Amino acid sequence: MSNAMRTPAGAISVERYQGAVAEGRFRRLWNANAPGYLFLLPWLVGFFGLTLGPALISLYLSFTDYDMLQSPRWVGMANYVRIATADPKFSAAMDVTLTYVVFSVPFKLTFALLVAMALNRGLRGLTVYRAIFYLPSLLGGSVAIAVLWRQLFASDGLVNAALSQFGIEGPSWISHPNYSIYTLVALSVWQFGSPMIIFLAGLRQIPQDMYEAASLDGASKFRQFYKITLPLLTPVIFFNAVVQTIEAFKAFTPAFIISGGTGGPINSTLFYTLYLYQEAFGNFRMGYASALAWILVVIIAIFTAFSFLTSRYWVHYDD
Amino acid sequence: MTLRVSRRNFVAGGAALLSLSALGTSALAQETRLRLLWWGSQPRADRTNKVSQLYQTKNPGTSITGEFLGWGDYWPRLATQVAGRNAPDVIQMDYRYIVQYARRGALAPLESYMPAKLNLDDFDKAQIEGGSVDGHLYGVSLGANSAATVLNTTAFKEAGVDLPTQATTWEEFARIGAEITKAGKRKGMFGIADGSGSEPLFENWLRQRGKALYTADGKIGFGVEDASEWYDMWAKFREAGACVPADIQALDKNDIETNTVSLGKSAAGFAHSNQFVAYQAMNKDKLALTNYMRIKPDSKGGHYRKPSMFFSVSAQSKAVDKAVDYVNFFVKNPEAALLLDVERGIPESAAMREVVATKLDENGKVALAYVSGLGDLAGKLPPPPPAGAGEADLMLRNIAEQVGFGQLSTSDGGKQLVTEITQILARG
Repeated sequence: MSNAMRTPAGAISVERYQGAVAEGRFRRLWNANAPGYLFLLPWLVGFFGLTLGPALISLYLSFTDYDMLQSPRWVGMANYVRIATADPKFSAAMDVTLTYVVFSVPFKLTFALLVAMALNRGLRGLTVYRAIFYLPSLLGGSVAIAVLWRQLFASDGLVNAALSQFGIEGPSWISHPNYSIYTLVALSVWQFGSPMIIFLAGLRQIPQDMYEAASLDGASKFRQFYKITLPLLTPVIFFNAVVQTIEAFKAFTPAFIISGGTGGPINSTLFYTLYLYQEAFGNFRMGYASALAWILVVIIAIFTAFSFLTSRYWVHYDD
Repeated sequence: MTLRVSRRNFVAGGAALLSLSALGTSALAQETRLRLLWWGSQPRADRTNKVSQLYQTKNPGTSITGEFLGWGDYWPRLATQVAGRNAPDVIQMDYRYIVQYARRGALAPLESYMPAKLNLDDFDKAQIEGGSVDGHLYGVSLGANSAATVLNTTAFKEAGVDLPTQATTWEEFARIGAEITKAGKRKGMFGIADGSGSEPLFENWLRQRGKALYTADGKIGFGVEDASEWYDMWAKFREAGACVPADIQALDKNDIETNTVSLGKSAAGFAHSNQFVAYQAMNKDKLALTNYMRIKPDSKGGHYRKPSMFFSVSAQSKAVDKAVDYVNFFVKNPEAALLLDVERGIPESAAMREVVATKLDENGKVALAYVSGLGDLAGKLPPPPPAGAGEADLMLRNIAEQVGFGQLSTSDGGKQLVTEITQILARG
C-alpha cells in the first residue's frame, strides 16, 4: 500500500514531492550540462557504437563458431584451445610479429631521435624540413607506398641497381623468406615522422642554461647528451616506445600489399593481423579470428603493463 | 564578406528542399532497384555497366547500381554484406565459393524460374550442372574458360625455340624451357614460370594421372606419392634452369599484373583462357595460348571447360523476379552478348556464341579457338571444391615455396601437403 492512497485530495504526496525535487534537480543538472553532453554526443556514439559495442560482440564471438552466413554456434573455449595447442600458423605469425616489433621499434626511435636532434639545432627553414621528414609517416600506411616498396626491393629494383654499382648482386629482397621481413622493418623505420615530432617537442622543453652550465664545466657534447638530454627526455622516450610498440603489433597494410595477402613467401611476412584477417575473411572463421584478436589484446596489454612497471626505474619526471 | 541568410529565406529554402525530396521518394517508390556486385577490372566494369544501361532503357522503372572490386577485396566485402543482411541482389559467384554460399542459405534457388523467366535451353548441359548444388540451381554460368599456358611468341622466336604443341609432354617442355634460358636473349628471362604452387596446374596434372584434387564427397583426392612426384618434377625444372628461381616466382601474386610473363621474367606462364585479352593488352610482345602439357604422349582429360564465373541471386533480395530477369537478359540478349564479348569467357548459350563469334576481334578469337579446340585434353567438370579449398590452395603454394627455397625435400613436401590438406578439410 502506498502513501499516495492515504493522502487527502489536493495535498501533495511525499512521493510526488520527492519526485518533483528529483526532477527539478535533474532538470537543473541537464540544463547546465546539456550543451556539454551534446558536444560529447558524436564521441559517445562513436565510442559505444563503433568501439566498445563491437569489442564486446567480438568477445562473445570468440567463444563461438561463426561463418558470417549462419548464426554463431557456442563452442566454449575450443577456439582458444586450438590456438594454444594445435595451430602452427599462430606461432609462425607470432614469430614474425615479434621479430618486427623487436627490430622496428628501437631502430625507428633511435633514428627519430637523431633526426630530431639535428633539426633542433635551429636550422633555417626548420618548418620545411619538419614537414618533409613527417611526410613518410603520413603516406606510410598507404597502399601506394607499399607498392613503391615492392618496386624498390624487387630483384631488379632500385636497391639492387645501386648495389650492382659496387659489384654486389643482391637477392630479390621482398620475395626471399630470409630478407622480406627486414624490408618491412626498413619501411617502418622510414616512417619515423611522428615520434620525431614528439622528440622535437621534448627537446624544446630542456632548458638551454643546463647545456651552457655543462659546457662551462667542460662537459663534452657526448657527455651532455648522456647526462642531460637523455635523462630529461625519458618521459618522451617512454611515451614513444609504448605507442610505437602498440603500432608495431597492429601493423597490417604493408605486409598485406607486399605479399598479396598471402603472408608469403613461406609465412615470412605473415603478420599477426594478416593471419587474423585471413582466418576471418578468407576462411570464414570469424569466431576463431575474434579469439585471435583477443589474444593480441592481452599480449599488447602485457607489454604495455610491463613498460609501465619498469618505467619507474628509468623514467624521470622531475624538472 | 559573410553570407547572411534571413529566417524567411531559410524557411523557404527548407520547404523547397523538403518538397524536392518528397518528389524524389515518390518517383523512386515506383521503381525496382537492383544492386550488382562483381570482381574484375575496369574494362569488365565498362561492359557490365553498358549492359545495365541497355536493360534500363528496355525496362523503364528499373534502376540498377553496380559496384566492382578486385578479387582479393571482393570476398571479404561480399561476406560482410551477406552477414549484415545487406547483400546485393545480383552477385558474381565463383566455382570455388558457390557451395559455401549455397549451403549456408545465402543464395536463391533458381530452378523454379525455368524456363519461363530463365531460359537456359541452349546452354551446355554440363555447365548448367556446374551452377547446381544439392540439386538446386544457384548460379548461371556467364561463360566458359579453361586453364591455359600463355606463351610469349616473340621471346620464343628470339631464342630460336619452337612453340610447344598439343602433343608436348612435360619432359619435352623442361627441355624447351632450359633452351630458352640458355639462349639468354633477354636479361633476367627464364623459360617457364614455376608452376609448382599453382592449383589449376596441379589439378590438371593429377587428372591426367586419373586422380583429382577433391573427391565428390569433399575428401582429398590424391596421395603422398602424387604430391611428392609433383614437387619433384618442378625441382628438376629448377635444377635444369627451365623455370624461374623461387625468389622470382614468389613475386607472383596470382594476378595478371604480377605473372612472370607480364613481368618479363619468363617466356611461358600459366593462366586462364578468358584472361588472354587482358594479358595481350598488358604485353608488347605477341602472345599465344596453348594447353597444359601432357604427362605422357597418350594421357588426356586434364583440362575441362569451367564456368568462368556465375551470376547468383541473393536469397535476401526483395526483387528476386527482377534479378532473375536481369540475369536472363545478361546471358540471352544478343545486344548484351555483343557488349560483353568473351571477356567473361565464351558464352554458354549456343545462340549467343554465334552472335559473338561473328564480331570477335583477334584476341577474342584466340580464346574461342583455344577453348573449343581442346579435343581429348578436355575431360569432365570436377565437382565444386569443398569448404576449405581456399586454405588448401594457399597451403599448396606455401609448401611449394618451402621446397623451392630448399627448406623441405620434395618427399617431405608431399607428405606435409597431404597431412595439411586432410586437416584443413576436416576443419571445413
